[in-house]
Amino acid sequence: MYININEPKREISSDAVKVWRMSNTIGHIIALVIIAILFICSERFEWYSWVSIVLYCLGGLAMLSGIYSILIEPVYLQRTWRYEIDQEFIQLKHGRWNQQHILIPMEKVEYVRTEQGPIMRRHMLYNIEVGTTTSNHVIPAIPAEEAHLLKAQIAVFAKIKDQENGEGEKEHASNN
Amino acid sequence: MHPTTKRYHPAMIAVDLISFIKGSVGIVLILFIFKATSTATWVVWGRYIFIIVCIFTLIWTILQWMFCQYEVTQNSVIERKGVFIKSHRTVPFSSIHNHKSNTTFIHRWFGLTSLTLETGTSGEHANFTFPVITAKEKRHILILLEQPQDQQNGEEPQPVIERSIHFQSNKKDLIKASFTSLSFLAFFPLLSALYFNLAELFHIENSAKNTFDYLLIHWWMLIIILIIAIILSVLFGLFKTFTKYGNFVISDDTDRIYIEKGMGNVVSYSILKHRVQAVVVEQSLLKRLLSLVEVKLISAGGSEDGNDQDTNSLYPFMPKKQAYQVLQSMLPQYVIEERMERFPIKVLWLKLLHPYYVTILSIIGLAIFKREWLWIAAFVFILSVTSRILDYWFTSYIRHGKTIQIRKGGFVNETFVTHHERIQQISIKHSWLQRKFNVATLVFLNRAKPMHESRLYGLSKEEAGTFYTWYHGHSK
Repeated sequence: MYININEPKREISSDAVKVWRMSNTIGHIIALVIIAILFICSERFEWYSWVSIVLYCLGGLAMLSGIYSILIEPVYLQRTWRYEIDQEFIQLKHGRWNQQHILIPMEKVEYVRTEQGPIMRRHMLYNIEVGTTTSNHVIPAIPAEEAHLLKAQIAVFAKIKDQENGEGEKEHASNN
Repeated sequence: MHPTTKRYHPAMIAVDLISFIKGSVGIVLILFIFKATSTATWVVWGRYIFIIVCIFTLIWTILQWMFCQYEVTQNSVIERKGVFIKSHRTVPFSSIHNHKSNTTFIHRWFGLTSLTLETGTSGEHANFTFPVITAKEKRHILILLEQPQDQQNGEEPQPVIERSIHFQSNKKDLIKASFTSLSFLAFFPLLSALYFNLAELFHIENSAKNTFDYLLIHWWMLIIILIIAIILSVLFGLFKTFTKYGNFVISDDTDRIYIEKGMGNVVSYSILKHRVQAVVVEQSLLKRLLSLVEVKLISAGGSEDGNDQDTNSLYPFMPKKQAYQVLQSMLPQYVIEERMERFPIKVLWLKLLHPYYVTILSIIGLAIFKREWLWIAAFVFILSVTSRILDYWFTSYIRHGKTIQIRKGGFVNETFVTHHERIQQISIKHSWLQRKFNVATLVFLNRAKPMHESRLYGLSKEEAGTFYTWYHGHSK
């Protein structure tokens, strides 16, 4: 432990790796296909020569980023993601080379919602998005049951705080 | 009691039309003055289209005025408007963070003013504006707004509590301000623009050369002309400063801070004290030499367009001591600590170790496109090293009690002070390189428009941990 703090403990689902691998693979295939089409066009219609050079570079970059985000990133992101939720705070932590800790007081939370894409549905996972007055954060890949529980929990904690706060802000944590 | 729903004063049409005319001055100049003799198709068509647009705007403005009604109740403002698409909007007073009012020359002719209520939300409908309103009604709304929010029902609005005045600009201040802001320099571009326009009009290029020869011989005339030009520019600067900052008054009562300024075009601004999110002290190089400061109050309300950003500023040219005194008496919880400590020198090495992306990019770019200009990359490199050293030199941080204060700078120095409970979220990051140096990056967010991010690179890991626990622990 590099910084001496109370670190969050709860982990995200191990299926996250599969989900991220799948979605990153699809994304990169689409990007590569688009680049390939553009490349064929530039050869066929004799666009400026620098266009194909740029496309070569982009293709190479897409390959490299593909290797990273399909083979390496999902594993280490899943292993390092931690979160913790209590009455007062939401704590998030992720990353290894670039580690990041985030601390959000419950009273600043304005909304919480769950989110699910088609790949996540297959694994029964949800993303939880927490929005504050200034930004929003996503806790990724939480198993369905846990996700609904968490959402309800955050909503309750945030709402209680909002009423005590009495600042008159009209936005409440919503359950959609 | 006031009648429930009503229209705005008809002067709203005039105000809207005049702002339309102001906006189309450029088009009129091109279509009817510069190209007055032109018969090109786009000019002829442009004129017709412009006239049609004018007529439509006139009709539209009148329709909009006719279909717009508002109602002020005990605790909210309700507005119904829309010619084709109807909208109905309710703004509760409790969500108003601050309000400001702007009295332009046009408003003055009609004996009116405008009022903008600013809420803490973002987006298109964040602010509620009365484009025209009588002074009497504005007072009525402000009294409703300023009554304590917990006893909104039933009671008649109470008279406003005595305000105490903390600062009033006098002539000496304004003269000083006009020199510090270098506003007299604004006269020179105006002068040269005028000259070139006249030169084109009267073809004085040739005769000007003769005049210049004549002046060179009679050098005393040159000096007189120069002196006149300088005097004119100084007068111009004074005029600008006086209209903008004349009659500057900062006052407060128990709950609110009031700022009023301007001659002719009067702007007034008011904010609830407990809605102040942070205080920023800014000092440019020149102000540092004269030991003047600008104190800004950061609030969640405010306009996003950013062209009247300095409304939330306490007088921008206040002597440092006085500014701190004013701040101290109005917002005693915001104490500005003068002695701040820099980070250890290793942070400078760390900052210098980072890759020089801009330099690398400029080397690549120049090598491809303009090989003989490659020396420019050296300049870029020196500039980025200098900016990193300056950045290190001015970055400092202090935390005492519930207050946190950070300073950043270079040519413009900025000190940011906020409180534990005003911070919306914090995050601490550390990269592999930072871990080798035992430091971390601290980022915290404050409400503002747009939100204010404070980023401190190179905080020691011990302090980062303490800060995290401090933020985590305090509200328990």
